[in-house]
Amino acid sequence: MDPLENLVLGFAGAFVAAWAQLHATLFESVVQPALFHLGLTTWIEMAFDWTEVFLIGAVEIVLLALVLTALEKWRPVEARKVSPAVRVDVIYTLLVRLGALPLAIFFLLLPLVEGLDGWLRLHDYIPPKIEDAFPALLAHPMASFLVYLVIIDFAMYWIHRAQHRLGFWWALHALHHSQREMTFWTDDRNHVLDMVFTDAVLALVALAVGVPPGQFVLLVAVSRALESLAHANVRMSFGRVGEWILVSPRFHRVHHAIGPGHEGRNHGSNFAVLFPVWDHLFGTASPVRDYPPTGIRDQLTGRDYGEGFWRQQWLGFKRLAGRA
Amino acid sequence: MKTIGKVIGLAAFLVATATGAAHGPGEMVIVLNSGDGTVSIVDPATRKEVKRIPVGKEPHHLMATPDNKELIVANAASNDLVFLDPKSGEILRRVPNISDPYQIGYSPDKKWFVSVSNRLDRVDIYTADFKLAKRIPTGKVPSHVAFTADSTIAFVTVQESNEFIAIDLATQKEIWKLPTGKQPAGIWMTPDDRHLLIGITGESHVEVYDWRAKKRVKKMLTGLGAHNFVARGDGRHVFLSNRMANSVSMIDQQSLEVKETFNVPGGPDCMEVTKDGKQLWTTTRWIRMLTVVDLESKKVVQQIPVGKSPHGLFFLSHAPRQ
Repeated sequence: MDPLENLVLGFAGAFVAAWAQLHATLFESVVQPALFHLGLTTWIEMAFDWTEVFLIGAVEIVLLALVLTALEKWRPVEARKVSPAVRVDVIYTLLVRLGALPLAIFFLLLPLVEGLDGWLRLHDYIPPKIEDAFPALLAHPMASFLVYLVIIDFAMYWIHRAQHRLGFWWALHALHHSQREMTFWTDDRNHVLDMVFTDAVLALVALAVGVPPGQFVLLVAVSRALESLAHANVRMSFGRVGEWILVSPRFHRVHHAIGPGHEGRNHGSNFAVLFPVWDHLFGTASPVRDYPPTGIRDQLTGRDYGEGFWRQQWLGFKRLAGRA
Repeated sequence: MKTIGKVIGLAAFLVATATGAAHGPGEMVIVLNSGDGTVSIVDPATRKEVKRIPVGKEPHHLMATPDNKELIVANAASNDLVFLDPKSGEILRRVPNISDPYQIGYSPDKKWFVSVSNRLDRVDIYTADFKLAKRIPTGKVPSHVAFTADSTIAFVTVQESNEFIAIDLATQKEIWKLPTGKQPAGIWMTPDDRHLLIGITGESHVEVYDWRAKKRVKKMLTGLGAHNFVARGDGRHVFLSNRMANSVSMIDQQSLEVKETFNVPGGPDCMEVTKDGKQLWTTTRWIRMLTVVDLESKKVVQQIPVGKSPHGLFFLSHAPRQ
């Protein structure tokens, strides 16, 4: 082994050890005793995983705040200060990326998904997995993870099409589009019920194609960081080739634009979350190349989508019921 | 130079056999990293991980086949079993379509293979060649399994329902159940086939049941998060991991008393005892380590870095299972 490789491996080993120590300390000193006192020790292993979700989220938020804030200052689309409209998106980001909302949704969906999964198995349906079709992936879990990532992104593209096309779903999803001062914090600004529907569909996808290997938490964090970047208030395109490979801030801004973002034959354009190729394949890529203002057209005539977290959620339910 | 080489070689051999004397030549310690989907192969002579092999999604438990020629790894989220060489840990073959296998066990007569589906609240009974005989719905979160010596009954703890159930293997039906303390996990049949010991993970004790009389006969205080068992191999004692107290207790199966409890930090879970009875190896889940305890001094002598959330472990030269 050459000295450089040794150094890199040594550094990686030290990093993993330090991370493991941090994870174990937080878990053993706070989470585990709390679970024990609440009589929830059955969930101890799951809680150990969620402790890491929280830790990764915390590190991720700090890094995003440092890097993307700098980017937004360097080449902003719209020069602005932090306003109440942006602050609420920070709350969404904290609730989602630190794991609180996903955990609540997980426990809400768990009995439904496990009930269905269990019922299917009693009827001799064991969810297949991609690796059954491509056994070579069994020895290469990272390749397997990437295949699942593409499949999940493909599913997300169609979920996103449905969020715009189906009236009831748009009533909820419109909240995400109502941000007229878009920043990288906007990624997680979603109606809670919108998140529940999305996760329910993704759970069905998992029953059809299996679950991705769970160990690539860093890659998951990277893909989430890309989604944050896509929402950033920054003039940035990935170039002629790059724009086909990954969703850029330019590409996604058009998706949030008043007009091209939610109107037309497809009720919007540029629906892809990570890989824009879906929009090119299915004819939903927008020809717009600049950085238009964001929001929903009816906001120009005074429709209120709320400014604070609770009002935004409440108005979402009202729109769903056809009363707002 | 040749002589020096030989001397060094001999010295290395002596050191290796001295530290790894408990294990046969070439025998590896095999650890399931449930969070990584990998198997860590640890050389007991150097006490270092030599290899990490992808095995499937969420491998939690493993056991040798009755003929000891293969090691079965249960991949809960992959819905399959992977068979390893029990000596080297290399993958030999894969059996698909085993639903959510978490804890697994063979009946002593080798006729039935029982797979406990922890996530989906089922106990699945397979024939020895993995043909499904019956899926039995259970209460919430079934966990560990034990058998009567005559292979007529399988006992399964059900964590969230705070009970354990008895399944008649001939008819594949639940025949009775008994309530337990909070979150029963590890379940262990004493060598005399009289008592079942159950680790009460939501509390700090082991409950002892006379299964023929269907009643609890004793509680033994061990430590917070009493969890899983492994035999010391002397026909008399069994070790129990207390995953929250970070300790291991030794229980006398005849007098039904806790003999001693010693510290093992990091969340001890599954354990193995070496054939010579001198070392206890345990996965310590929260700190991503495989821990070696010297059973004379009752001290941790080594922590070996492995993968994330290490759970099941195995080595061929283990102490007898009773």
